Amino acid sequence: MQDRPTAPELLDAMAADLYSEVREWVPRERRFRVLVLANLCAVIARELRAGEEPSREDLELFNALSDSPVEDAREAAGDLAAAIRRGDLDERLPEAIAGLREHVARKLEVARPGYAVSAGDA
Amino acid sequence: MTQLPEDQLSAGVRALIAEAAGSDPGSVALTTIPGGASRETFLAESEGARWVLRRDPVGAQDSFAPLETEFRVVQAAAAAGVPVATGIAFEPAGGRLESAGFVMGHVEGTSVAPRVLRRDELQAARAALPAQLGEALARIHSIDAREIDGVAVSDADPALAACALWEATIDEIGEPLPGVEAGLRWLRLNPPPPPGRECLVHGDFRLGNLIVNETGLAAVIDWELCHSGDPAEDIGWLCVRSWRFGNDDLPVAGVGTLDELLAAYEAAGGDPPSTERVRWWEAMGNVKWAVICARQAHDHLTGARPSAELASLGRRISEPEWDLLELLPAASAASRPRQPGPEGTV
Repeated sequence: MQDRPTAPELLDAMAADLYSEVREWVPRERRFRVLVLANLCAVIARELRAGEEPSREDLELFNALSDSPVEDAREAAGDLAAAIRRGDLDERLPEAIAGLREHVARKLEVARPGYAVSAGDA
Repeated sequence: MTQLPEDQLSAGVRALIAEAAGSDPGSVALTTIPGGASRETFLAESEGARWVLRRDPVGAQDSFAPLETEFRVVQAAAAAGVPVATGIAFEPAGGRLESAGFVMGHVEGTSVAPRVLRRDELQAARAALPAQLGEALARIHSIDAREIDGVAVSDADPALAACALWEATIDEIGEPLPGVEAGLRWLRLNPPPPPGRECLVHGDFRLGNLIVNETGLAAVIDWELCHSGDPAEDIGWLCVRSWRFGNDDLPVAGVGTLDELLAAYEAAGGDPPSTERVRWWEAMGNVKWAVICARQAHDHLTGARPSAELASLGRRISEPEWDLLELLPAASAASRPRQPGPEGTV
């Protein structure tokens, strides 16, 4: 066990520092890079806080759409991607798309909270 | 921006300008302009005048439209009435610019999309842009790509060719993207009918490749991805949510509605595509952006281009991936029990 701050708490502190003070020190045309790094710290903090649960839910979803369940989420994602490409899921494509929207929404909870709403096409 | 010393390259630019303009501009100072995807761009300044140099990186393998083709395309676009940075002189590889390059006029303005969308002094420009973009696209699409030597032309149906291109790119990357695959599969099963006519397509028409000043669109730049294809491809790409930079309720680049764009497109002589066709290409645009994000992250992972910025794009794949699935009728069909449309509904 490490002492506090925890890893996500440290990343929060890094992100806050980069967003505020460090950004001011950097020439204007290079600030975008600082924002990228700050944003990455915030993403990783959320990823650590979310833990293994999102990957477990993804594995369950991928296996449910597959003929041969596996134990690793990345392997299951690869099998599912290949099956979709081959056309094996054409009959169940609406079901697959609906399930995969939830998978993508889980990724967005970490990568960009608030993004997974309808785009509001005017 | 990095100031380069007076050297062979700036001497080459000076000689080219002198030759084209008929008078020596005097000593020319070069400053790199960051942001080009594969080509180098420099601001060239002499006393009282500015130009832009666009050049292939020395020794680079060219995977895009050759620079000479880009030069010809810009001239054809200017002749068709598209606002462009006018080409002044082209120099082939091995000449005074070392690699292939061309000098063009300098156009004042910004191509930083968030500035275009937020700055107070560009408010009138934002109001004018939807119609200006529609008009510029109509003029680009009036050009027959087959008449310009060197532009990529294929006999394949553009929609199915796009499916094949991005499937192949995903395979090269080798990372599983089941959400993108599902969207791509739906697009492959429901392609729009072949376009009435193929034309010159810019290939990357969005605010980042347009120069905007106080009066609106000043120039369409970065023609390196131009090709022959379905005109709806440019319109769909312009509507991709990532290019709205937060102005989600304004699908056209965060500045306007599709109706505004298409009305101006038609008024300028364009044949407006159906909303369904635009939507198909918008969805395909999201496939393209998701796969490009994955490829950039992959370039970091393989060590080809180590960069935290490229690495971070691996966590941005999910944004266009979400928008892609949102655009498919099949997605809503599953949640609101309705069958996906039969083939040919887009």
